[in-house]
Amino acid sequence: MEEESGEELGLDRSTPKDFHFYHMDLYDSEDRLQLFPEENTRRRKEVVQAERANESTGAGDGKAQRDLQEEVEELVHLYGLEDDHELGDEFVENMPRMGVSEYPPYGMKRRDPAREQRDWRLSGEATEAEDLGFGGWGSAGQCQDLREVYRYTHGRASEEYECYVIPEEEDEEEAADVFCVTCKTPIRAFQKVFDEHKEHEVIPLNEALESAKDEIHKNMYKLEKQIIDMENFANHLEEVFITVEENFGKQEQNFESHYNEILETLAQKYEEKIQALGEKKKEKVEALYEQLVSCGENLDTCKELMETIEEMCHEEKVDFIKVKCPSILISVSFYTNRLGKFLKTKTDVEISTQPDFEDQTLDFSDVEQLMGSINTIPAPSAPVINPQTPNSATGSSVRVCWSLYSDDTVESYQLSYRPVQDSSPGKDQAEFTMTIKETYCSVTDLVPNTQYEFWVTAHNRAGLSPSSERAVYVTAPSPPIIKTKEIRSCEEAVLICWESGNLNPVDSYTVELTQAESPEASGVTESVVGIPTCESLVQLQPGQSYVIYVRALNTGGPSTRSEPATVHTIGSYFRLNKDTCHPWLTISQDGLTILRSERSTPTKEPPPSDTHFTRCVAVMGNLIPVRGHHYWEVEVDEHLDYTVGVAFEDVPKQEDLGANCLSWCMRHTFASSRHKYEFLHNRTTPDIRITVPPKKIGILLDYENSKLSFFNVELSQHLYTFSCQPHKFVHPCFSLEKPGCLKIRNGISMPKHVTFY
Amino acid sequence: MALKQISSNKCFGGLQKVFEHDSVELNCKMKFAVYLPPKAETGKCPALYWLSGLTGTEQNFISKSGYHQAASEHGLVVIAPDTSPCGCNIKGEDESWDFGTGAGFYVDATEDPWKTNYRMYSYITEELPKLINANFPVDPQRTSIFGHSMGGHGALICALKNPGKYKSVSAFAPICNPLLCRWGKKAFSGYLGTDQSKWKAYDATHLVKSYPGSQLDILIDQGKDDQFLLDGQLLPDNFIAACTEKKIPVVFRLQDGYDHSYYFIATFITDHIRHHAKYLNA
Repeated sequence: MEEESGEELGLDRSTPKDFHFYHMDLYDSEDRLQLFPEENTRRRKEVVQAERANESTGAGDGKAQRDLQEEVEELVHLYGLEDDHELGDEFVENMPRMGVSEYPPYGMKRRDPAREQRDWRLSGEATEAEDLGFGGWGSAGQCQDLREVYRYTHGRASEEYECYVIPEEEDEEEAADVFCVTCKTPIRAFQKVFDEHKEHEVIPLNEALESAKDEIHKNMYKLEKQIIDMENFANHLEEVFITVEENFGKQEQNFESHYNEILETLAQKYEEKIQALGEKKKEKVEALYEQLVSCGENLDTCKELMETIEEMCHEEKVDFIKVKCPSILISVSFYTNRLGKFLKTKTDVEISTQPDFEDQTLDFSDVEQLMGSINTIPAPSAPVINPQTPNSATGSSVRVCWSLYSDDTVESYQLSYRPVQDSSPGKDQAEFTMTIKETYCSVTDLVPNTQYEFWVTAHNRAGLSPSSERAVYVTAPSPPIIKTKEIRSCEEAVLICWESGNLNPVDSYTVELTQAESPEASGVTESVVGIPTCESLVQLQPGQSYVIYVRALNTGGPSTRSEPATVHTIGSYFRLNKDTCHPWLTISQDGLTILRSERSTPTKEPPPSDTHFTRCVAVMGNLIPVRGHHYWEVEVDEHLDYTVGVAFEDVPKQEDLGANCLSWCMRHTFASSRHKYEFLHNRTTPDIRITVPPKKIGILLDYENSKLSFFNVELSQHLYTFSCQPHKFVHPCFSLEKPGCLKIRNGISMPKHVTFY
Repeated sequence: MALKQISSNKCFGGLQKVFEHDSVELNCKMKFAVYLPPKAETGKCPALYWLSGLTGTEQNFISKSGYHQAASEHGLVVIAPDTSPCGCNIKGEDESWDFGTGAGFYVDATEDPWKTNYRMYSYITEELPKLINANFPVDPQRTSIFGHSMGGHGALICALKNPGKYKSVSAFAPICNPLLCRWGKKAFSGYLGTDQSKWKAYDATHLVKSYPGSQLDILIDQGKDDQFLLDGQLLPDNFIAACTEKKIPVVFRLQDGYDHSYYFIATFITDHIRHHAKYLNA
């Protein structure tokens, strides 16, 4: 490359203007065209030029010189371009000779300048070659030919360059102003009219330029995208490589452990078999030895008998001669007996033990199984069951999740559960099992607010995993039941009570409020959360209607909403507290009407009580424990004896209202056609006369200003105001001293005249 | 009817003023006090007339009762006229404290020599309201009246004789039945002559009996230790009995330990101002 750049420099410096025609594609050719002598041109370049010169001579002389041309081609191919110094040298040496012999006329011409040059040049043969080359080119036509030759020799296709190059040349001469789409070439506008472009579609050049740019940008974008894609793909491949590596490691480990296991099993089996065999051998040898011993013993006995008999026989012969007959006879008979016995004893000559060992069948079944298991997957390990996700349960379902170890292959899971019960441990609760493909399951048809124990096993072809740990999940509670009859409210708040709706305790309750005033009912829902008890005092805006729901919560989640309750924050709303009711009084269904009937007036007073009134025939209302204003009205009969007012919850139930410091009351008595109105507190009353008996009494309890005021509602007449400082919450109280009826009106807004007090 | 301002003092954000004018009804110069609450600077306010008792002038009430704070808060213009013509040089007018000067009894006298000057009823119900309506930012439709003792009597008869004219009425220890008390007998016989049938037109208890029934809420406070109550000059029971019978709404409060003085008035003045404000500002 170094050489090339050097040449390029040379080109830039020395290329005459005319030569720009050949442009870059003819780079190599141009090198060869650069024929002007240069003092400091390196030798290699000279060599190349010599080579070119040779080519040109071949080409210029016509087609007849095939051989040479081929030779040249060969050489060019052989030597490459210009890199090889040594070969180049050789080449240079050969070339002139060939040229001289074949083409004398040229050679003659060339000789002279060559010789001259030789005089003043120092580079010898190389210089000669250069001269030769120089002489070789006479015209531009020759150059063209040379280029063609070069193109052929190198097999280079430079057409595509040319087709662009040539128009550009024209551009410079006379600027085109339109672009022929059909020909894909810029043309001049008049050409459109006369030329072959007559029928063609033309567009302004800058437009064409723009579209060409767009095209280029698009292509660039495509290429960029492709690059990114390829990079991603490469990354992916890299990951795959790593995964393959990992998987290989795992598999290798797996195989290793399995083969080790098999080898161990085999070794163990071998040991066992060898040991068993040894024992059998020992057994046989011992048996044979024993037999051998007994055999020897028998032999000895035989021998002994034989000897004795032989002796006896010998003695007999002697003794027959000597007279010792009787004793010998005795001894003979003795031995005869013994012999007889011995002979009777069956001498066992059967071999008790066979020298052969029994054929031992080698049992490789378990090994085979092990071998078999190498290629199959192992049984999964125990899955890990997750603890319950908070708020994931409903009243009848829980969502159970678990996970497997990443190495395991699992076909399915078996999820089992049963309710957790503290009591009756002996009695097993029914267990339920289901098969699941996923690692989660929504288990339905459960009992609300109940704990269930879940465990899971994984399964594949190889078998069943051990069971997971047991996890306790709990279903969400049942919705609470709002005690609508116990709702108390005022302008600023509501006290709402409910029944849990669940047998087991729940964690907390949530109260949800929606303002029902807007007809779109898209009111924002507010929530009061974390209520531990079954009642809640919720702050509200005055003069609104609210729909209230309650939910019960445990770790499993919230219950569904309770049935709604509607609350209006207009005035104060309460009901009568039947627990405080004197036995002679009857409270209506709506909890707002008090009736003392004519006939049921027993003479005997009921026994004292702390919760309900026993002497004074009274009842209390359940006012919301909120400081502020409370207003209610009582409809009375103007001839009725009644007492209305407020009292503390712990007001003595055996005393009359107003007869102590714990109550403030207005009492009306009607006797001998005279109305008497008393405003009683601690047995005292101001002296007040009222000319028009009220039929409806308004009562205003004002905690802020520590006042309790009474009004004749119909006349807007103020009757009396107590200054009282209730240290705790008071409740409305009512009593009927004579048979009759009081009707309470509450949940009504305060009349304006009341606001002056 | 040129008004001459005698005094003007700022009080609870408003102004307590005293004016003098020449009264046509009474043929003499009359003084009256008027309290203009802060609200009167920006709009018309209800008018509340106070009638003082025997021997009183426009000064008693404004200096002793301490009504200003409540009137300021409720935005009421309170007018306190004198109790009788003065300086008329009628023979015997200054002889006793319960007749003549300081004891006009809010009647229109028919007897000589009183009949040209002692026309307090017309002055209170006609001339003075016109004067006030013309010169002060008051709403003529919202007017109430109250008073003490003889002024209480005056307030009651003005209200009862003019159903609908006054939105409300209240009284401190009013003379409820002058026909039957010594004060009333003396005054009425002097101003109205001996024909007692004429007296009934100025007796609250009698007026109740013929009252047509336009709603009127009457608040009366009475000191239990009032010597004039014990003396039988006030007779509220008669009035209450008549109201009970005629179902005229009255709340009558017998206040334990209080007497007839301005200390008693000062104690309950706030209740009375509120009583009127309730109707005037409704």
